[in-house]
Amino acid sequence: MAIYALQRVFLSALIIAVAVTLLNVMLHLVPGDPAVMVLGPRATPELIERTREAMGLDRPFAIQMMTFFGNLLRGDMGTDVFTGRSVTTIVMEALPYTLSLISVSILWAAAIGIPLGAYSSIRRNTWIDRVTGVLSVGTISIPSFVMALYGVLIFAVWLGWLPAIGAGEGLGDQIIHLILPAFAVGVSWVGYIARIVRASMLEVMGESHVRMARAFGLTERRITRAYVLRIAVLPAVTLIGAGVAHLFSAAVFVEVIFARPGIGALIVAAVNERNYPIVLGAVLITTAIIVLATLISDLVIAWLDPRQREGL
Amino acid sequence: MKDEVHTITLGRRGFLQGAAAAGLAAGTMPLANALYAQSGSVLRAFSYADIDKLDPGFYQNGYNVDVMNCIYSKLARYKPGREWEIELEAAEELEQIDDTNIRFKLKPGIMFSGGYGEMTAEDVKFSFERVLEHDSPVKGDWGPLQSVELDPDDKYAGTIVLEKPFQPLWTITIPYGVGHIVSKKAVMEATEDGSDFGMEPPAFSGPYILEEWKPNQYVKMVRNPDYSGDLKPGYDEIRIIPMDDEKVAERAYEAGDLDYTAISLSSLENYKARPPKNTVIEEYPSLYYVWVGMNVENETLKDENLRKAIQYAINVPQIMDAAYFGAAEPSTGLIAPGLIGHREKSLVPPEGDLDKAREYLEKAGGAPSQPLTIDTLNATTWKTIAEVIQAQLGQIGIQVQVNVQDSGSFWTLGMESEGDRWKKMQLVINRFSMMPDPFYATTWFTTEQVGVWNWERFSNPEFDKLHEAALSESDKDKRGDMYRQMQDMMEESGAYRFLTHEGSPVMFRDDLEPALRPDARPLYLGFKPA
Repeated sequence: MAIYALQRVFLSALIIAVAVTLLNVMLHLVPGDPAVMVLGPRATPELIERTREAMGLDRPFAIQMMTFFGNLLRGDMGTDVFTGRSVTTIVMEALPYTLSLISVSILWAAAIGIPLGAYSSIRRNTWIDRVTGVLSVGTISIPSFVMALYGVLIFAVWLGWLPAIGAGEGLGDQIIHLILPAFAVGVSWVGYIARIVRASMLEVMGESHVRMARAFGLTERRITRAYVLRIAVLPAVTLIGAGVAHLFSAAVFVEVIFARPGIGALIVAAVNERNYPIVLGAVLITTAIIVLATLISDLVIAWLDPRQREGL
Repeated sequence: MKDEVHTITLGRRGFLQGAAAAGLAAGTMPLANALYAQSGSVLRAFSYADIDKLDPGFYQNGYNVDVMNCIYSKLARYKPGREWEIELEAAEELEQIDDTNIRFKLKPGIMFSGGYGEMTAEDVKFSFERVLEHDSPVKGDWGPLQSVELDPDDKYAGTIVLEKPFQPLWTITIPYGVGHIVSKKAVMEATEDGSDFGMEPPAFSGPYILEEWKPNQYVKMVRNPDYSGDLKPGYDEIRIIPMDDEKVAERAYEAGDLDYTAISLSSLENYKARPPKNTVIEEYPSLYYVWVGMNVENETLKDENLRKAIQYAINVPQIMDAAYFGAAEPSTGLIAPGLIGHREKSLVPPEGDLDKAREYLEKAGGAPSQPLTIDTLNATTWKTIAEVIQAQLGQIGIQVQVNVQDSGSFWTLGMESEGDRWKKMQLVINRFSMMPDPFYATTWFTTEQVGVWNWERFSNPEFDKLHEAALSESDKDKRGDMYRQMQDMMEESGAYRFLTHEGSPVMFRDDLEPALRPDARPLYLGFKPA
């Protein structure tokens, strides 16, 4: 298990390095001069040239990448070219907002989706199952930004119950500001999780150990809770682990619509401004989180199922 | 949108006459008299962008200056209203002695926060000269500044000395970004050499101080406890909230999360028909100018007749209807109504003339064999403009391909420093911001700017000469004529089809009274409860 874990950690580091290098290549391929963006239209060509040199943009690409990784090993992700602030600080300021958004989104989606899927499977082929199925597929097919727009219109503009923008100050205020964005990001996951749990439940319910439990005269409620749901929920957990990247993407739109700080909004703005250090720093952290989520998921599965350790 | 008739009264002479006649003195400014204090009040306002520089000597854009206006002092500032005027702020006297000397005298008792003492002429000298000394990207705002000489007998007085006359000094230098005064002692302590202090102001002198900046969330300004001037802030707290999209701001306003916001032109008619509760909607003209540019050095567009065919084939009112929902008016040139040098009419009529377009096309030997390209930013308005032009040019047989680009890529399109992309660039939809002086518009179209910001590569020695001469011309009418001639030259070259200045509608709660520049730029210092 230890060797397997080490192999996975090494592979994860490699994935991060490749992702950041590829991103850097792409950034350099697309047109746009960060020095021009930083200095604005009235800077002289001489000043622009001096700034390019100061930013290290005049050096060969390979040297720029080596410098980036060298600095990274010292914990330095560079400096924001506009404000002069540390990239680490900027990214770490934005990250908690995105992490809280995606965590709350997935938690409420799981809290609704798992019982819904389970109930649907127990009452399969009834009108409740059919309604749940239609609702699940309906929520899956509605993009998060559409939910965000309608959420704002209904709950903030028409009803005035919730704020339309911002992240709030203080815990209570932050929770209130999180309700609509988390609803928008999480709603499609309710459908996903409900469908996965339902299908998985139906499969597990047909297995021999469940039939055995019935033969022993256990109640349906006990069989469902103790023998079916605990197994049937595992695919949903795997889905959530693999869906972290999708959640980050959904958060980008939602952060823009709710004028909410976060890593998605930060990356979008930085790409437009050709603010390379911020783009690289933010993508590095995002990639690391996604890779980490996948790594944890793989390790947990490997721990539960030793057969998985053989295939890296 | 209908622009109201404005008269520019902000020239040097106009200002001098007004100042002399009124005998401007400390404590007598209209804004100061009008300002009203209310405790416990918060103003929440929308901004198109977050701040990224708070050193006025190195300011980058108007969003930073909106904040600087509140936390620092200037000799004079823009006066809120529908006409371009300035009024004294930190200066009790400000006088142009001759073409190159401007004498000022500060009000005594303006204090810097943090124990940095009283503002003196030494601080003014330091603030203005450091812009040149440290090669600021915006040193052009100070034009031919030579030095600031101190009055040996009066620590509050001094003289701004120019190498040659510079009219924009009164319109975009003193009342705007680089005109702010910082504490010499505080800046030297913070930076050691007086260079850019970035986002950490070492001392404040305005009625507000920056209490908190949460990047991409808000800028929070509160009353300056050390402020000893005669202005009384209208609010205890001003919170400026940056949002990329004005539609988001509109919804936030409707939800009650904002007190003041700009409105998109596409929403204006709806809001006018069904305004949100307790809301005032006002329309202001904008200084932005939008045009279709043509690269005169491109192999295909070298032919002036082809360019003129394109000019005449473009029907501007149709574009206004499609892209701006009829809420913007066609423009006549670079310079907006109300500013010196505005043209009453363009040479090519707004509707164009398809017959003339065909005549020019025939002289050019027919439509190009390959489709022309039109580059534009990836925003709905620009894409719509490009598509309408594509259809309009199609009427005379010119095929057009629309290239949509993100802002980072688009804004380096015609720059020679970016390689050979400029050679392939043909048509481009462009939009520049503007300050209330015509110099700020024509400066981008000189020969010196070819391959930098002059992407059409228009070059005319007569234009360059007029541009230089107009900087020093103190006669308002003569100066206006010069800028009108320059716009004629641009249009005659066939490289430009001027489209619009857009518009700047805003909405705000009826329990507040905003203080806005004539182009609707907020002057938060003057916002007050109604």
